[in-house]
Order: sequence, then C-alpha cells, then structure tokens
Amino acid sequence: MTVTPAVVEEEPTKKGLSFKLPLDETEMGLVAGIVAAIVVVFTGLPVVIKGIALILAFLWGMDSVRKTSKYGLGTGVPSIGVLATGFGVVGALVGLALAKYGSIDGVAYPAVLVGVILMGVIGLVSGILSNNEKVIAMKIPKLERAMMELGMAGTLIILLECSIVTGSLNFNAVVNQVLNTGLIAFMFIFTCFGLLHPYNACLGPDENRERTRMVAVEIAGLICAFLGFAMIILSSFSWELGSIVSVTISSPWKLWNGVSLLIFGLAVWAYFFRMFIKACMDEAYETVGTGMIKTIE
Amino acid sequence: MEPILIILWVVVGGLLASLGAHLLPVGGAPAAMGTATGIATGTVQIMLGAAMTGLFTAASAATFTDSLLLVALSGAIGATVMICVVMLMANILYTFGCGIVPVSGRVDVDPLTKEPQAPYKTPQTDGHGVPNVVYVSGMLGGFVGGFGGALMYFALLNYADFTAGTAAIGSLSIFVPNAIIAAYNIRGTIEGFHDPKFKRLPFAMVTSLVVSLLCGIMVVIASYLTVGGTM
Repeated sequence: MTVTPAVVEEEPTKKGLSFKLPLDETEMGLVAGIVAAIVVVFTGLPVVIKGIALILAFLWGMDSVRKTSKYGLGTGVPSIGVLATGFGVVGALVGLALAKYGSIDGVAYPAVLVGVILMGVIGLVSGILSNNEKVIAMKIPKLERAMMELGMAGTLIILLECSIVTGSLNFNAVVNQVLNTGLIAFMFIFTCFGLLHPYNACLGPDENRERTRMVAVEIAGLICAFLGFAMIILSSFSWELGSIVSVTISSPWKLWNGVSLLIFGLAVWAYFFRMFIKACMDEAYETVGTGMIKTIE
Repeated sequence: MEPILIILWVVVGGLLASLGAHLLPVGGAPAAMGTATGIATGTVQIMLGAAMTGLFTAASAATFTDSLLLVALSGAIGATVMICVVMLMANILYTFGCGIVPVSGRVDVDPLTKEPQAPYKTPQTDGHGVPNVVYVSGMLGGFVGGFGGALMYFALLNYADFTAGTAAIGSLSIFVPNAIIAAYNIRGTIEGFHDPKFKRLPFAMVTSLVVSLLCGIMVVIASYLTVGGTM
C-alpha cells in the first residue's frame, strides 16, 4: 500500500501578514459610521460606492461583535450578531418612515439618520441594563458602547441594502420592492451572518483582527453579489403577488447597476477569499497534505 | 392606528418571549457532546426557529380571521409543534444513537413524575437528552414564546396597519433582542422551570420590559408617520 507523500516538504517559514487595514477599532467605527451615513443619505450614488460603504459598515459591526464576544457571552457569538440585525430592522423601519421629511426625491434623504440615532439610544439602554450589576450583570467591559455601535451599524447596513436594491429610500418603494417581495428575509439572515460569521469562524487562541476582517470583507462581497443579483431580477421581471400588490419595475439603470454590483461583489469575494486562505497558510506553523483517504484491504 | 394597544401588545409579547426563552431546554455546546440536558444549540437558534414557525402559522391564521386570540393561539401551536418535534428528535438521537438515557442533571427526582434521576446520570456530566420534566417545560416555553411572537405580529398587522411582510419582519426583529437578552440572563444553558437559574427571571423581565417598550414606541412612530400610505 502506497501513501501519497505530503504536499509541503520545504521547511515552513512564518511570514508576517501580507495585508493590513490601517485603522484601529475606534477610528474604524468613526470612518465607517461617517462614510456609511453619508452614502445612506445620498441614494443617487452608483451602487458600487454603496457597496464599498456596506463593506465598511460590516467591518464596523464585526469589530463590535469581536470586542464583545472576546470576553465570552455564554450563548455563543451568533446571539450578538442576530441582536444587531434585529435592532437594525426596527431602526431601518423608523428611518424609512421618517425619510420623507426634508428629502429631495431620489437624491437625498437626510432624515433616515434619525432612525440610526434612535436605535443607538435603544442599543445603549439595553447595553446599560445588560451590564448593570443589579440587572443582568454580564460584566463585559464596554458592552454599552458595543451594543450602541451594533444597533447603529445594523441600522446602517439594512438601510444601505434597501437603498442599493431600491435606488431610493422612499417608504412605499422600499415596501414594494424589499418587504413585500420577501427580499427582507434574505437580507435579515445574510446580515446576521455578515456580522456574526467572521468572528465565529475565526475565534480561537490565535485569532487576530486582520485575518477576521478579511472574512468580514469577503462576506460583505458575497452579500454585494447577492444584492446585485436581486437588482437584476427586480429590474427585468414584473409580477403580481396575489391580490396584495403588483410589482412592475423595468429600468435599464437598475439592470446595469445590478450587473456592476454583481461583478464588484464577486471580485471582492474572490480576492479576499484568496487572501484569507493565504494568510491562514502563512500564519499556520505548518500546512501538510494528508493525501487521499486509503481503504485498507 | 391605536398607539396604546400597539405598545401594550408589543410589551406583553416581549415579556412572553423572555419567559419562553427561560422555559426552553437549552443545552448549548455541552449537549452536543451528550454531557448536558437539552437541545444541542444556543437559545437564539431554538427561539428563532420556534418564533419563525409560530409566525408562519399566525400569519396564515391572520389571513382569514380578525380575532386576536385565534391568531395568537395558532402562533403558539406552531411554535409548540416545532419545539416538540425538535425535542423528540433529540431524544431519539441521544437514546438510539449515543445509547444514553434522558436524565435531568439539576434535580435528583423528577418534580412531575417523581422518577429518580440521579442513579441514571453518568458521573461528571450534567444530565443527558430531554427527560419528562424538561419536555413539559420546553412545550410550555414554545407555547409562551409563540404566543408572544404572534401577539406582536397581530398588533403590527392590525393596529399599526403594516403590510403582512413588514409586520412579520418587524415582530421577528422585536422578538429577537428580547429572546437574546433572556439568553444572556441564563448564561448559556438552562433546563426549564425547575432549574435554579430560572430564579433569575425577574432581571430579564425588567430589561425586556424596557427594550420592548422602546421598540413599541419606535413602531408607533413608524406607524404614525406612514398613516395614509400603503404601509
């Protein structure tokens, strides 16, 4: 019986990281928050720019999940990601309801940011109650701030996704194209995973922030690709949903934007997936192939 | 639009979600190895699964009736059926797959059936599977949680005048933080109402009250601003 020899034979050299995003956690939060807020307000921007803002917002959310989950929540990392998305959807509903105030139709909706701020307040309150000695007493440092950031990042992410798909933040347009088509269910679960998966997948004794962020960018790229696909579908089809509402959208603008976002998302995903695998290989002590599994006769 | 009723039902739904999460048999990672009682996953996954099933049944009931009780009860039944099937399958896997008997780790004698538990427990573990008292507690948890979720759905659908899709995702989004805060309160694993950790319930209730009150106010704002629209 012959065994396939191991793939790697040279002595492994531990290289440094090939990739560094320059910002630390606080700077990342500020930059991502400001950029995402500006992009959310101006809905007329090309979708690829919205996609970049989406990636930044996911990085911000991932940082907050990471710094909270580091201390051990007792319920697993997924809980905090789902919490952020739950807050995000409620905040986005309020933001969308407020959007009509002071808006220039199809161009700018500054009032949606009120939803983000209100959700920050709710996040802060729940963080204070969760960390308070007399109430739930989780004893996690800076949980208040992290929960506030998660509420805000979640709201910004959901609003950005709605703005990408709809092209505006007009309440009725969003309800028709995102909520009534059921796209929101996909958005909910994808956003959950975008927030919780990077840290959940990478956690362990040798976890480091740079590598975890690569996963976050990669997943955000996949979500961009999915949203681009959704835009293509929404632009070229028209259908009736029972007697509730009829959706008839046919705009070449949306089709080309969708195609560009799909290509952008796939490119981001492919690049960062390759980078992540390379980083894992480089940082591991040794990577050996075991060959194919042999059956013993 | 009736703001008081919206806030009332959202708060009641949030409190019931919190109570339901405390009643469920959450085993977490130890249960996956067969060394703790309960279903082998976190509160979030169990509660989200139960709540979503409940919302499906509640939404189908809400298409042909305007009765709050009927919608809420159908949500509760959906969630109960889901959680019961999961607990039954967990028991089948544990008993026939791992060869261990369902036994509670927190009590020596089953409080409901008076069956002895301690002699059957493998030393150094925290119980296995889903024994009788835990099964009953899980059923109650599914019922209460599904009832709460469906109450919120009904309030959002009929009092806040949202469309079915908006109401479903809105009630799920309010349900989820309440269930997760309850999960933080029980620190991962719980067996049910006989577990000592169940005494921590009031802390989660206070937090849940505040969070769902704030979420209810948000819903009222959203509903008020879009009255007259096609929301």
